[in-house]
Amino acid sequence: MKFETMKFKSLYKGLFVAAVFLSAVSSCKKDPSDPGKEYAPNMYLPVGYEPYKQEKANPINPMGLTMRLPVAGTVARRNYKTTFGESDSATVDLMVYNIPADSISIAEKVLKNPIPFNEGTLAEGKVLYERYCQHCHGATGAGDGKVGAMYKGVPNYASDAYKTMNEGHIFHVITYGKARMWPHGSQIDPAERWKIVHYVQKLQKGA
Amino acid sequence: MNISFRKNAKFCSYFSYSRILFTIAVGLLLSVQNLASAQDSTATAAAPAGGGDAAKGEALFKNNCAQCHAVTDERVVGPGLKGASSRHDFAWLSKWVRNSQAMIAAGDPYAVKIYNEYSKAQMTSFPNLSDDDIKGIFAYVDQASTAAPAAAAAPGGGPAAGGGGESGGEGPSGLFMVVLGALVVVMILVLGVLLVIVSLLSKAVGGEVESGTKPDFMTRLGSSLKKISSDPAIRSATLWIFVLLVLKATIDGAYSVGVQQGYAPKQPIAFSHKLHAGEYKIDCNYCHTGVNRGKSAHIPSANICMNCHGVIKKESPEIQKIYTSIENNQPIEWVRVHNLPDLAYFNHAQHVNVGGLECQNCHGEVEKMEVIQQRSSLTMGWCIDCHRKTEVNTKDNQYYDKLVQLHASESKEALKVADIGGLECSKCHY
Repeated sequence: MKFETMKFKSLYKGLFVAAVFLSAVSSCKKDPSDPGKEYAPNMYLPVGYEPYKQEKANPINPMGLTMRLPVAGTVARRNYKTTFGESDSATVDLMVYNIPADSISIAEKVLKNPIPFNEGTLAEGKVLYERYCQHCHGATGAGDGKVGAMYKGVPNYASDAYKTMNEGHIFHVITYGKARMWPHGSQIDPAERWKIVHYVQKLQKGA
Repeated sequence: MNISFRKNAKFCSYFSYSRILFTIAVGLLLSVQNLASAQDSTATAAAPAGGGDAAKGEALFKNNCAQCHAVTDERVVGPGLKGASSRHDFAWLSKWVRNSQAMIAAGDPYAVKIYNEYSKAQMTSFPNLSDDDIKGIFAYVDQASTAAPAAAAAPGGGPAAGGGGESGGEGPSGLFMVVLGALVVVMILVLGVLLVIVSLLSKAVGGEVESGTKPDFMTRLGSSLKKISSDPAIRSATLWIFVLLVLKATIDGAYSVGVQQGYAPKQPIAFSHKLHAGEYKIDCNYCHTGVNRGKSAHIPSANICMNCHGVIKKESPEIQKIYTSIENNQPIEWVRVHNLPDLAYFNHAQHVNVGGLECQNCHGEVEKMEVIQQRSSLTMGWCIDCHRKTEVNTKDNQYYDKLVQLHASESKEALKVADIGGLECSKCHY
């Protein structure tokens, strides 16, 4: 009887030791800045030049970069599509605009929205507006976005001074910025900008 | 008997001690709360100024002016308007509001001065505002600017004054006080429990020494360990457990080769997705502009940071790093988090634009991450699993019409990604 209880007790202790050992092993955490091991890294690393992936410094380029700026005078071909809209209302536009940043009055007079206004383009404009504009200009264009509250000086599209601004003006401001707003031309391509113009013009009329 | 009595006596003394502490804490808490509530007394409305409809002016001000001007003397974009109607006569003000550029061109000295002071930022002209409108706006400004200091006079003194209860400082919020109070109570309880435990333990140890019959702890431990290690059943069990553990660790280690799940490296700038995408609700696309257009989602270049940080938080040392990088024309060396091996092809546009997936499907709750982390395993099994489960959105898309017909003639299930080549080796490996 005594022997049995002893055996039971020691087994119990053994289990306890095992549990402690297990929890010690399983509580080992990986360092979050360690990417871990790789098998055959030569299969993992790109042979060709890849954006955002560079293992070795490039000895030819400045700062060891692989990427280089395009040659001066390169013409961007952002948009291969040149026809917008269907049948009668279709327009042809190369989406190339060379109006300088300081010539907003020319943009107001010359630029016309090549993208036909319809429910589809308006809906696309709304999606694009939500991506690129809403955090400052607010859902209704009242200048009450969450970032706008921090940034200060975001106008209300429907206020007297802004509700009459035409499509060329809006396009130019998205491209080059104006007053406190910085240029967004690098983020939004021209066709997308024109769709946003449609939606902003809707907001100018009041939500 | 003697021992147990002493134990109780000690316990009681500690208990009463902690009770006294508790009482003091509650007393302190109550007095601080009194202090806070005593401060909500000084909000008063101010006298309205004559000459305009302030209620109408308020609506006009909020629509047209509030984006750039405060009713106090705080600089926002333009100057604060507090006292503007006493600095200038109405004729000057209305002329400025309707066309400030004409005044600057005409060489009005104050107009030129203020134009230069605000780094030649043009104020929008409001030719449509009538005399009454402008009067109303300034009536509202006067009313609000006299009301604002009364309400804002509170911040200043601060609760550090203590004791008195009639200080003008803005007290901490009610919730904060409750949390603080609860913390104090919990800390005192923990202290009490610790003291009790210490006293009990010291009693127990003291008791054993007093009785003096049992062998000391180390010898007892040594003898029982000897018994355990000589038992063959225990020995073999320990050996087996050890072997199994090593086996499991080996298999786990082998499976984790090349899998970087949980990888969250320190970045050169402490950028927080939680703040930008979570709190300020900036869309992922705003910075990751390539996600709808190409293979890579794009890491934003510094000009996109500058769209906001040209103005916001300029003095922060982290933001200063962006400025330094721009001034030196030196790229910011972000550490890439999601590394797909070169042997597998992946395209963001195909998944986001065509497939209509949300970023969170693969990247997890980025809007809650302070430091960006790889949440999914990005293994082939993970890809294939999703391709097998995900239905293709074929609605209103002529491209899929014939495929859907063909699929429907062969199978009753919905068209999955796997059915249109989502499992073909050469789709991703070539």
